[in-house]
Amino acid sequence: MLAKKVDEVSYHTEISQKVIRRKRNLTSLGNSMLFLGPSTIFFAITVVIPFIYGIYLTLNKMDSPIDAMVFSGMLNYVNAFKDAEFWSSLWLTIKFVVATVFFVNLVGFGLAYLVTSGMKIQNSLRTAYFTPNLIGGLVLGYIWQFVFVQSLPALGEKLGISWLKLGWLGDPHMAFWALVIVTIWQTSGYMMIIFIAGLISIPKDLIEAAKIDGAGAFRRLINITLPLMVPSFVVTIFLSLKNAFMVYDLNFSLTKGGPFNSTLMVSMHVVNKAFVEANYGTGQAEAIILFLIVAIVTGIQVYFSKKMEVEA
Amino acid sequence: MVNFKALLKKSTLVGAAAALTMSLAACSGKTSGNAASSDSPVNIIVTNGKGEIDAQFKQAAKDFMKANPNIHVDVKSSAVGDTLNMYDKLTASGKTVTIAMFDPYSAVHKYKDVGMDLSNEKWNAETTYALKDANGKVIGFPFAVEGMGLVYNQKVVEKATGGKFDPFSVNTQDKLKALLDKIKASGVQYPVSYQTEFWSVGNHYSSLFLDQDSDPNVILDKLKAGKMDLTKNAVWNGYYDTLNLLTSKTYNKYGDRPLGQYYDAAHVAVGKGDSAILFNGDWAFDSLKAVAGDNFGFMPVPVDNNPDNPLNNKIAVGPTQVLVINKKATKAQQDAAKKFLNWLVYNQAGQDFIVNKAQIISAFKNNPNKVTNPLGVAISNAIAQNKTMPFSTNYINPSDWSTIIGPEVQKYIGKQESRKDLAKFLESYYKSHQE
Repeated sequence: MLAKKVDEVSYHTEISQKVIRRKRNLTSLGNSMLFLGPSTIFFAITVVIPFIYGIYLTLNKMDSPIDAMVFSGMLNYVNAFKDAEFWSSLWLTIKFVVATVFFVNLVGFGLAYLVTSGMKIQNSLRTAYFTPNLIGGLVLGYIWQFVFVQSLPALGEKLGISWLKLGWLGDPHMAFWALVIVTIWQTSGYMMIIFIAGLISIPKDLIEAAKIDGAGAFRRLINITLPLMVPSFVVTIFLSLKNAFMVYDLNFSLTKGGPFNSTLMVSMHVVNKAFVEANYGTGQAEAIILFLIVAIVTGIQVYFSKKMEVEA
Repeated sequence: MVNFKALLKKSTLVGAAAALTMSLAACSGKTSGNAASSDSPVNIIVTNGKGEIDAQFKQAAKDFMKANPNIHVDVKSSAVGDTLNMYDKLTASGKTVTIAMFDPYSAVHKYKDVGMDLSNEKWNAETTYALKDANGKVIGFPFAVEGMGLVYNQKVVEKATGGKFDPFSVNTQDKLKALLDKIKASGVQYPVSYQTEFWSVGNHYSSLFLDQDSDPNVILDKLKAGKMDLTKNAVWNGYYDTLNLLTSKTYNKYGDRPLGQYYDAAHVAVGKGDSAILFNGDWAFDSLKAVAGDNFGFMPVPVDNNPDNPLNNKIAVGPTQVLVINKKATKAQQDAAKKFLNWLVYNQAGQDFIVNKAQIISAFKNNPNKVTNPLGVAISNAIAQNKTMPFSTNYINPSDWSTIIGPEVQKYIGKQESRKDLAKFLESYYKSHQE
């Protein structure tokens, strides 16, 4: 009798627990809907749905975004793979990526090291180095165009420096480096902020212990600071990779891809293909290929650099 | 708390439902057309591709409606620099555009099925710039006329030549070279300040050779048929000889390293008189940032040393925007549209709008007004003296020429490739682009 009662009670508690659990699941679903729902909807509207629709568009032949769609299978991808200009602009972009990722992180880290070294004016310097990031790429391009075409040649003329006398943007190599310089100028301040956060969070006792052990400043940097900074580098390299692959506004306003398309980056080629030459389907297919390449490259980068992270 | 949560959930649902219905409603909106019954006013939509004259155009529509109360004109302007034509946007949303503004190349290619025959319109008698389709029928009303040639600063040139300068006196390559030398001797280090941007050396300069036949399409057809050997074509070569002169280290401010981004600097140099000559069109006037009162004009681009060659004595002038009446509009709408075009040509307010308000060079002889910009005046004078040849840029695909052919011409200027390479490139482009 008693046993039966106990059984019954336990049975009932089981049920009520199940009910409670189900209720809890429901409320947590409700909660996540409440907090994630709106952002999910907007993310879907602005990113996911257009992206999927974009893939669908590549299967159709269209000259402009509002033309009637004619199903054409993989034709756009075939055209994209055959487009030699696309691949040469992609190769140029990869060179640009290598140059900017290296220098942006080098300069950004150097600046961060400088403004955490305990100088009196370091706070105002932080602000000053960050400011270029607040100027949009288009405006920046036009400002620097003036610098490269008018200011530097005027300076070269005044000081008699012969290699500065001519505008930079008329020479394919100098125009390329002009793009790199402006990108460094624009983004290293932003990376500096991330590096500062990393540098500040390095435990002081580790540095002190190294000091006591007789490690010099350079040894401390190589053996203690840099390994502990890997998480920051993961973020900054990811950001600078993505920015460099996707560069468009600066490319447009500084060189317009010239002289003779020698600085035409891949994003600009895609836009020209789709909207200027009215090859919307092919341009869209090239954009998808570009997306895949960037996703793979940045994915590999994050995976491997995550492995390099160490615990303090 | 629970109630509040439920309320929130409910309101989210309601919100989502509202958003959905609104978007659905927006979709269904396109079916409502402009069905006009006999007594209600006729609605016509006019697209305006020149965003910079939006306000003037809308005012002109108001003035027209005041005079014609039974017609309602709705002006839709596209933003400056928008790559999609307003006509496409409106048509895609189910509206019927009655009058569309196109550039002449698009009007006879991409939109060749849009325009109705306007050959019997009265205004044809007042202009030589009406746009004809492949069959010779007039389909485009010339809305804006523009021209290009060698822009010169009159003050600088007259200081060098001593006395009144007649731009049409420079009608051979040798005379141009002599003029450049004279300007140099007068103390101007670089008489030419040409910026050689891709659209300028491509779309504009490199299309000039099409004018060697009075109908540029004849040359184009030969190119497409692969029957044109450009390296042996005297005119094609002649224009690049002149280009060499214009971009040479001796005469061009940017000769040491052409192809940079020199547009503003080059125009200001000519405007302020540090330099004397550049190649561009009448739209360049604002960029010259000239002191008020200084005068500027156009010289023809000489192509050889024969002073009787018409190419050496004419400036390329033509309609750069045309108005087309849509075949698919109703008869009442088409008639209203024709009335509007006639109003632009014959009514004083219409003439005033085109020239005085919008500062556009009129394509019509009967328009007595003159624009205030000196380069525009030079173009209208050339029209009046009959010293014009077709605006060759109207015959080429403008987007392909700026992204594909322009950079190739730049390679030639930058000595990255020979003239033979350029000729071969252009020939093969036309063999693979038959449109």
